[in-house]
Amino acid sequence: MLTVDHLHKRFTRSAPPALDGVSFEVRKGEIFGLLGHNGAGKSTAIGIMLGMVSPDAGDVTVGGVSVRRDRPGVLRQLGAIFESPRFYEYLSGWRNLKVLTAFSGGVPRREMEDIVAWVGLEKRIHHKVGTYSHGMRQRLALAQALLPRPKVLILDEPTDGLDPEGIAEFRQRVRDLRRDFGVTILLSSHLLAEVEQVCDRVAILQGGRKVYDGAGRGLGGDRALYRFAAGDTDALVAAAERFGGRIEDGCRLSLPKSADPAEVLAALVAEGARVREFARMEETLEDLYLKVSRSAESLRRTFSEPRGEGGKGGGR
Amino acid sequence: MSFLRQLGWELFRMFARRRTYIGFGVFVLVEMLMLFLFTRTGVRQGISRWIEEVAGGLDTYFSGLTLAFLIIAFTIFLLAAPFLSLVAGDIVAKETEDGNLRLLLSRPVSRFRLLAIKYVACQIYALALFAFVGITALLVGIYERGAGGGFVVWSPEMPRVTIFDWNEGLARYFGSLPGFVLAFLPVTSFAFALSCLRIKPAAATIVTLAWLLADFILEKIPFFEDYRHWFMTPRMNNWLYLYYQEIPWPAVTETAAQLVGIGLTAFVIGWVAFEQRDIKT
Repeated sequence: MLTVDHLHKRFTRSAPPALDGVSFEVRKGEIFGLLGHNGAGKSTAIGIMLGMVSPDAGDVTVGGVSVRRDRPGVLRQLGAIFESPRFYEYLSGWRNLKVLTAFSGGVPRREMEDIVAWVGLEKRIHHKVGTYSHGMRQRLALAQALLPRPKVLILDEPTDGLDPEGIAEFRQRVRDLRRDFGVTILLSSHLLAEVEQVCDRVAILQGGRKVYDGAGRGLGGDRALYRFAAGDTDALVAAAERFGGRIEDGCRLSLPKSADPAEVLAALVAEGARVREFARMEETLEDLYLKVSRSAESLRRTFSEPRGEGGKGGGR
Repeated sequence: MSFLRQLGWELFRMFARRRTYIGFGVFVLVEMLMLFLFTRTGVRQGISRWIEEVAGGLDTYFSGLTLAFLIIAFTIFLLAAPFLSLVAGDIVAKETEDGNLRLLLSRPVSRFRLLAIKYVACQIYALALFAFVGITALLVGIYERGAGGGFVVWSPEMPRVTIFDWNEGLARYFGSLPGFVLAFLPVTSFAFALSCLRIKPAAATIVTLAWLLADFILEKIPFFEDYRHWFMTPRMNNWLYLYYQEIPWPAVTETAAQLVGIGLTAFVIGWVAFEQRDIKT
């Protein structure tokens, strides 16, 4: 539905690239999470998707339409909301929707009323936006993004500034969006719990590069994690390797999901390992995020430090 | 049709701002101040003497229309440039700064079209301002001097004093109001072009006013006489042609073409700059 293809973007020559060959695909009907810390490149990627930022290389296509060739064609299929949405404070919510939808060719009154009711703003929609709370502005932002009905909805840090109640409400609303409108959703956030609870798949960006692309729940893909405590680690390593397993951080065993843990445990005991604890661990998105962030960081260090010295030497 | 709808909402948005009413209100206040100066202070004697000299018949020619002309000329000279450069300087830059523009740009509309709507809206806004100022000045003039009588006009930029009867004067007066839009086209267009750059809204206004002031002062200095054709402010007096006894249509057409050319050039520069920009938070 939405394909991001080898995006490169550097805002200034001296600055590091904001995006460095980022690619991923959002499938029809799924909720896709785009994760990364501040400056990871999420907003730049979204800016390119919406045609607000022009990439140095690469492209984004939505429903087969390229944003570089036909920006309005892409935007006809998209709705977007941004962190801290800004409206014309001196106009009512309704007038704001009229102003914005005029740029999409206009929307019938009935459809606007339905969407306003869906986001729960019908009682305040004719009040000035200046009197709205942050949560109400967020709901108005959602209403404008849904008018006219988009195929893909881009939510850029939608819960930024919301209280815990507002975050929970918004999370439910994202699930309802898919149920009620069948819309494909790309959710950009740095709130891992939020993404973990609603997204089917996630991509993690770090330093302008994609460092992970995969499941957002029941993480680990085709592998399962077990926490263990054993007296003889060598025996454990030998037994684990026979089942395609590997030891992580000295206390976690990663096994293919096809491996039967009872058999592995029996083999460990047969090898003479004094096993005191062996339990299944559910890897959270936070575990994954920290793991891929650290490994990406260590890779960056490994490759950048010698290259820096080499570059200096090479220049002489 | 959709262009007109979008333009309509852009105008609605501009006129819904409190600043519009405050701005228009300030124009009325200055008109009142001018009325007070021209009718209740020593300035009145000067004007009366001048009218007696050039037209005779003070009661006939110190009419509501003559007073309205004096009021509008001074009010627009004092206020129009700052106000319009503020409006045009804000129209893109302020929305970028406030974040409204991101919502507009996430709509299926080209940047050119978005800017064209804003630019046209800006000119219509200027027309509404000049119509408002013209009508209120006339009402003030009629309130003070009554309807009817003659109309005497002179400005330092005009070769001689011109005199009209009431009906002809009224037609010339209303005819000159759209001329103000054309006269201020370089101001609104220059501020608009600056507004399209990565710039603070206030900077767009200040730079426009600084350029206008420099142009106005330098053009008056005799050393620059040979370069007068490069200055903008002499062209901005084109509305005065409407008050010549015989309207010099070739000159009207020539300056109008120049002003439109300058305005469109500024628009294109602003558009090209805006098209290159990456809009991010």
